[in-house]
Amino acid sequence: MKDKTIRNLFCKEFTNYLKTPLGYVFLVIFLFGIGYLTFEPGRGSFFYMREASLVSFFRYMPWMFLFLIPAVSMRLWSDERKSGTIELLLTMPVTIRQAVIAKFLASWVFIGVALSGTFPMVLTVVYLGNPDLGVVFLGYLASFFMAGALLAVGGFFSALTKNQVISFILTVCVSFLLIMAGSPPVLDFISTFSPKYLVAIFESLSVLNHFDSMERGVFSLSNLWFFTIMIICWLYGSIILLNGNKAS
Amino acid sequence: MGIKLVKGGMMDKHKENYIKVILGLFSMTLMIYIGSTVLKKARVDFTEESLYTLSQGTKSILSKLDSPIKLKLYYSKTAANKGTEGLRAFNNHYLYVQELLRQYVENSRNNLSLDIIDPRPDTPEEEDATAFGLRKFNLTETERYFFGLVAENESGTEKIIEFFDPNQKDKLEYELTKLVYTVLNPQKKNIGVISSLEVMTENLNPYMTQIMRMQGKSVNESWMVTKMLGEFYNVKKIEKDTKVISGVDSLVIIHPKDFSEETLFAIDQYLLKGGKLLVFTDPLAVSDRSTGMHGRISTSPDSGFKKLMDKWGIISKPNTFAGDKYLSGVGQFNPNMPAGRLLALLNCNENCTNEYKDNITSGINNSTFVYPGVLKTKSVESVKHTPIMSTTRKGNSYTAQGYELNNPQALWNKFSEGSEPVVIAYRAVGKYKTAFPDGIKETEDLKKEKKKENKNEKIEIIKESIKESIKESAVIVFSDVDFINDQFAFKKSFLGAAVANDNSTLFLNSVEALTGDVDLMSVRSKGRINRSFDVINNIEFEAEKRTADKVKEINSSIARFQGELNQLGRKANEGNIGLIQNEGIRKKKELAKKIAILKKDLRSVKREGRERIEGIGKFFQYLNTLLVPILVIGFGVYYNRKRNHLMQGRRIAKKHDKNIKSQSNQIKEMNI
Repeated sequence: MKDKTIRNLFCKEFTNYLKTPLGYVFLVIFLFGIGYLTFEPGRGSFFYMREASLVSFFRYMPWMFLFLIPAVSMRLWSDERKSGTIELLLTMPVTIRQAVIAKFLASWVFIGVALSGTFPMVLTVVYLGNPDLGVVFLGYLASFFMAGALLAVGGFFSALTKNQVISFILTVCVSFLLIMAGSPPVLDFISTFSPKYLVAIFESLSVLNHFDSMERGVFSLSNLWFFTIMIICWLYGSIILLNGNKAS
Repeated sequence: MGIKLVKGGMMDKHKENYIKVILGLFSMTLMIYIGSTVLKKARVDFTEESLYTLSQGTKSILSKLDSPIKLKLYYSKTAANKGTEGLRAFNNHYLYVQELLRQYVENSRNNLSLDIIDPRPDTPEEEDATAFGLRKFNLTETERYFFGLVAENESGTEKIIEFFDPNQKDKLEYELTKLVYTVLNPQKKNIGVISSLEVMTENLNPYMTQIMRMQGKSVNESWMVTKMLGEFYNVKKIEKDTKVISGVDSLVIIHPKDFSEETLFAIDQYLLKGGKLLVFTDPLAVSDRSTGMHGRISTSPDSGFKKLMDKWGIISKPNTFAGDKYLSGVGQFNPNMPAGRLLALLNCNENCTNEYKDNITSGINNSTFVYPGVLKTKSVESVKHTPIMSTTRKGNSYTAQGYELNNPQALWNKFSEGSEPVVIAYRAVGKYKTAFPDGIKETEDLKKEKKKENKNEKIEIIKESIKESIKESAVIVFSDVDFINDQFAFKKSFLGAAVANDNSTLFLNSVEALTGDVDLMSVRSKGRINRSFDVINNIEFEAEKRTADKVKEINSSIARFQGELNQLGRKANEGNIGLIQNEGIRKKKELAKKIAILKKDLRSVKREGRERIEGIGKFFQYLNTLLVPILVIGFGVYYNRKRNHLMQGRRIAKKHDKNIKSQSNQIKEMNI
């Protein structure tokens, strides 16, 4: 981070997660939840499948993120706006762009920390068998990118409203739509009233398709493009909204 | 008015922002769509086995497509999701098949199209799937499960893969490419068979064969493998003295020896014209009984055929066989000898094929070779050699002659462990040069022409040859003939001959690989890396072994008791019958007690194994669900305590500073 302001803001925001109980609650729920679901009692569970891969672990990642990422992102701006600290922040020599980037990066790194907390899963498969570590690495990378995209969406809705609950609900809804965009039932439904090219456009917005493709072990430039554009555009949206608020 | 203006301006600003946001999201959607479409092909396959990357052979076949082919993937996704967890596991394989098919479509220059169909009960889709002949599984009374593929071309030719077996994952690309290839070339292939042995005889019906046998006549029947070949191809017998080979897509040559010069020339020219050869040579062929009477063993290739092989760059070492202690099978050379481990009997498993990942040997892990020869290669311009099968690294080549061939101990005396695999099957692909650069002299009867003159003259003419291959072609050479002989590939069962091992499949796979395109042949098997839980497998294996020991112990106790009981029975007479009966009952009780104890042990062994596995499962479950959350909580408590402590310290220090300040102020005031 070359920009000193962004770096300072990033450090402040990141340490905030460690100072407040929210950060710990998130970490504990995420780590316990993903571990439990991976080993869920049932024949689809990690131990029943007896395959030295993290398929059953990554399978639940989008659904864990669906609820936990909005919980992290809802307070990014709503909290500041509600408590009025946003005015204080904006009186400082910090641009909206810098603030948005710093806050986003801090929360993204925080999710990265949460993901790295699942390291016992990797040790488990390495101990039990002979996993394809390239695929495991790509699975983690895909999870990190997906978290970034959903965080950017959450940041946008947090900037849109003062109310954290509304921000949470809106983020969950849009994230769900983005996750399910490529699934056959949704596409079937859309194809009933839309032309084929619109269905294809809608399908290309699917977070799950890009995540699945990476999680299986294929890294395509289109995946990188998708997640980068998602993050940049939603962050850009946040900047516009916050600039509008600043002006008002 | 002024205020109104400001408000209006702010409203405009808001509207402008929202428009900006909407436009931003719209352009994001477009950018993602265009980017995803354009950049889709730029990809890196991170899987160890390159599972999602098409081989060059497949790409080459796809590039030859010039008319549309419709692929219909039938997968009962809804039924699978409703079904058992085991069935849901098929979803992973479905995703793999789907991804690979998408690769096919992407590489087909728009000639392939893919439809994914979820056939629901009582729908036209389900009727179609059944009509196409896809395999179906009844899950419930109404739900049926399909997982197959149909390929259709414009002229209505249909080919199917009736079921995608997840266990055949490594062969999937080959199967799919073969499907596309057979839709492109739908006609049944012609296979020629030429041999110095009676591998194909006149087709006698079973009734006639029976009668001839009853009359004591010897009946030469076709080898089973050639009969099997007839089920899939049009098989044509080529005579040993044939002068021209034509009209066959591939030629199978079994035990090549004593072929006429013209026949050798015909084989040479057939190959140079693009024909494909599957050759079985054998320096020590025990299946050929024709020379057995004279105490000699039949060998091939003879010097004539060696001349051809020389041009392919494949050399068969005479009187030499490949042996491997770790693959040696149990058998007997003649019925008078006890069965024992034989160096000359090679039981090939996956260790013989894994390294080469060839489609011919995919799934072949139990094939038996008898005195397999040793193949070497020499470099030939524009010909590429690839091994197909070999011994393990500890295999070696041994020479054997005369009496040694019937003496297992004599062979074992020669044993020494090798350091390199000894290859027993090679494939050579490329453009070849003729073994007859000057053509051959052919005598021609001029009877017809000279008939009028009542002369019967013969003249010699030089038959010109093609000097070099017109197009790329392939030769597969195996250094054993015996393995496709009925004696080693089949066993007699109650219902007739049954397949004894993978030998006949290996033969059919080789023919199939040859009849396809050279590109199809180059589609490699993806190989399979074992990703099961080794630790758990070992525990299970150990438990099973201990269980088997216990069962053995129980059975031997029962057998011993039975023996004792029989002995008692023999001792019984009128005088002691009562006593013996009592003794029998007592022994029976003892045995029942002993068996009960052993059964208890058996149960505890089984339980121990199960509990150990469950224990490992539980350990990892706790490790993955509780360890890090507990650490996080611990860290949080520690960090925040330390922080509070620090803050408290700061507050006290501040308070202290304040006190000192106020005190000094008071002193100042007092001084004043």
